[in-house]
Amino acid sequence: MTTQDFFIKWGVYGLALLPVWFCQVFLLNRLPFLPLVPMLLPLAAVSVAVLEGAVAGGGFGLAVGILCDAVQFGTNGAMTLGICVAGIAAGALAQYLLRQNLLGCLLCSLLALIAIDGVRILGRLFWGSGELSAMLSLAGREILISLIFVFPVYALFLWVYRRVPKKTVL
Amino acid sequence: MKDFFRRNGLLILIAAILLALVTAVVSALLGGTADPFSNLANILTTPVRNGINAVVNWTEEKYSDAFEQEQLKQENEELKKRVSELEEKEREYEAALQENERLRNVLELRPKERSFDELESAMVTARETSNWASTLTLSKGSAQGVEVDDTVVDEYWNLVGVVAEVGENWCTVRTLIDSDTELGGQITRTGGAAILEGDLALMGDGKLKLTFLPENSQLMSGDLVTTSGRGGVYPSGLVAGRVEEVRTDASGINEYAVIVPETDLDNLKQVFIIKDFTIVE
Repeated sequence: MTTQDFFIKWGVYGLALLPVWFCQVFLLNRLPFLPLVPMLLPLAAVSVAVLEGAVAGGGFGLAVGILCDAVQFGTNGAMTLGICVAGIAAGALAQYLLRQNLLGCLLCSLLALIAIDGVRILGRLFWGSGELSAMLSLAGREILISLIFVFPVYALFLWVYRRVPKKTVL
Repeated sequence: MKDFFRRNGLLILIAAILLALVTAVVSALLGGTADPFSNLANILTTPVRNGINAVVNWTEEKYSDAFEQEQLKQENEELKKRVSELEEKEREYEAALQENERLRNVLELRPKERSFDELESAMVTARETSNWASTLTLSKGSAQGVEVDDTVVDEYWNLVGVVAEVGENWCTVRTLIDSDTELGGQITRTGGAAILEGDLALMGDGKLKLTFLPENSQLMSGDLVTTSGRGGVYPSGLVAGRVEEVRTDASGINEYAVIVPETDLDNLKQVFIIKDFTIVE
């Protein structure tokens, strides 16, 4: 793959991230029928990681994490590291243990969301803010509602994956 | 996994760790001032936020014009009745005010003063994207003199929240139901002081709690709770909400009251930032 191909490929992935970011930041938090806001940006990183592997997943996860930290209040860099690690782990899992398909993405997303909310809960317990039962209940509902959105997010990135050059050399 | 380490995977991981550390340290050092990356991202997305906000407001206006006319008529009738009741109360209040002034003069007390010298009007341009906090992004920032800990109210002087992070032309307000909110409250009917506190379990329902209730407080449903202003950081007398019910906490020893905010956090469009105030009780 040429350098030009490389930039085109990741440019297209970046463009595909725009509607996901738009939905997360401007749309889904305004819909009155949704009880909670789903976490779409980590799902985007996991989807790309499942399709492209650990290294590419880590790189894309890093970019998505920076975006998350920029738009979310009070995360202070935690999402940059968290989503990058989630991308690397999801890519490795899909490559070596699971399959690089929707089911693999669903499982990796579940694990990534559990890890992200798990770290969030541990942080809050450490700082002494919030009851464990309330946090577990919120995390459970948030993960369930987010998992519904794995299907459209994975479909979007699968569509992109089928149209961009395959081999990534970093 | 060898492949991962061979193909720059480790470099990406190190970059992520370093970036996260730098962001955490910069955020801690800057206090409430936004870190440069968040500031840039929010400045760049300001036109998008404003545009979407305009479209959403227009759509809501059209929807209410089309489908909520009957409800608005009924609301108008109720408000007319309420205005006449309040006008009667205002006459009584005027008389009490004059009596209060006379008595203060007799006792040679310093006259009461309550002025909000610098108010900044701002539009709500974005809402929280995570379920773990309750914040609003406003259209004014450090360029307009907004500072961390400035209090934010709606057009009826109901408390909305407190500025938690300031960027160049935007700021983030931690609303009063956010689980990290903690400020002095006062029960208007009894005069008792307590603490207004956000709670993760209540935040989803748009409520907060009133803790450290005074002994024998005998709270009643509908009791008004305002800010106490103790400590001088936030002004006193801003309406926080009304008592819904009194509950006992998990330990079974302490009681707390569930408070329903007076402000309509879900439908706020315009708010006012109190940049400076003088209050003499």
